Amino acid sequence: MFKIYGKMFFKAFFIQALWNFERLQNIGFLFVLKPFLDKVYLNPDRRKEAMIRHLGFFNTHPYMANIILAMVSNIEKEIASDKRQAAADVNFIKNAMAGPLAAIGDSFFWGTLRPVTAFLSIFLVILFARVLDPAYSWIAPLTFLFLYNFVHIPIRYWMFFISLKLDNEMLALIAKLEFKFLGDIVRYAGLLIVLTSLIFYFKIFGFGPVNINFFGTSVPDALTFCVVLILSIVFGRFSATFMFYCVVLFCILLSYLGI
Amino acid sequence: MIIENLVILALIAALCSADVTAFGQFMICRPIFCAPLFGWLMGDIATGLWIGMIVEMVWINAIPMGAAVPIDIASISINATFWACKYYPGIQEAAICALIFAVPFAYFYKEIDIGGRNWNIGLMRWVERGVHEGKTWRINTGLFLSLFLFILRAFIFYLIVMYLGGKVFQLIYPMMPAFVIAGFKKAWYLLPVFGFGAVLYNFKNIRIPFINR
Repeated sequence: MFKIYGKMFFKAFFIQALWNFERLQNIGFLFVLKPFLDKVYLNPDRRKEAMIRHLGFFNTHPYMANIILAMVSNIEKEIASDKRQAAADVNFIKNAMAGPLAAIGDSFFWGTLRPVTAFLSIFLVILFARVLDPAYSWIAPLTFLFLYNFVHIPIRYWMFFISLKLDNEMLALIAKLEFKFLGDIVRYAGLLIVLTSLIFYFKIFGFGPVNINFFGTSVPDALTFCVVLILSIVFGRFSATFMFYCVVLFCILLSYLGI
Repeated sequence: MIIENLVILALIAALCSADVTAFGQFMICRPIFCAPLFGWLMGDIATGLWIGMIVEMVWINAIPMGAAVPIDIASISINATFWACKYYPGIQEAAICALIFAVPFAYFYKEIDIGGRNWNIGLMRWVERGVHEGKTWRINTGLFLSLFLFILRAFIFYLIVMYLGGKVFQLIYPMMPAFVIAGFKKAWYLLPVFGFGAVLYNFKNIRIPFINR
């Protein structure tokens, strides 16, 4: 059985390959579950019935789907061995868990881990631009990739196999894990990295002796930097693309006016 | 330059794009990784790093959540790095110009992506019918066909945009007035500051112990 579970864990990386606007991850979910259903349902009619059950709407965070996959596997195993009768439970549990787990995944992985590891890499990019030897600048993107996956792949693995073991108790464990608290800690670390990067950036490019009046003959660079920084925070609610073009136009305007 | 062949580069770009939703989500699609990757492949990693840093910070929130399809920032970083490093290596102003030029194509790619996800509905129904008829092999076939088509459409997109967009970029950049070029030079240093602002804006809801209740 471990071989089947290993196969499922590997196939879970493809869960969004047939993402569609009607039922989102339904086929991806069935794709991961298929080797398990093939194994536990020896009767072809019951196997077909089980597969049809999983054709309905399904959507969650792709990493957190591993928990649902493991718990659904346990339920399907019970149904296959006639220990559980209500097959409708499967879809109820799937849909009930998908939303909350997606919220945890979006907030922790997309909203915290990814930006924070990216900030660390950005900090290195700034250092490699002037302070460190640029010959080793390849370290910066690899740091991002390594740190992110060093956390994400083991978590995905752990969530799948521990959920197989704990079954319903996994939800209690997730509640105990305090993802929000964990996320807050990582987010503080991220804020510190961003502020440190900002200070280094200002020191290297804004307040340094090299380009003291780069942005204008009468305006110190530090002032220009501070104004743009404050404005970009104040107008942060606008679209990133719109603001991006505004900054470029502002730079062109500065050059045109020759301030 | 490590790889000059456009077909191979477009294929690598398509594989990076597949990471956004179709396979893995190992984050090789993020600008902070794929822009330096293309910079390195094109022999100018410094430009790739800077472009990657700007795009990562400015579009920090651009990630597909649920049914939302954001603009494809992988394509911004890949196309901009490719054009800048191929036609004007080491010129910071050209890199900013390439970045400006690459953004509309990211919106175009977003529409292609939406079209692809709509097309997948048909494929999903084909698989569904197969399951009802007992043809369960359609599950694997349908999924891998969808993955293949995802990579194929990204590959065609990159192949055309990298080539034709590059030709247009090569033609347009030297025609820019001097003050615009000087503005791009300023933007090279000012866009990361704007990026920091965008990132700090995201921290507006952070709860700081002893300050927030």
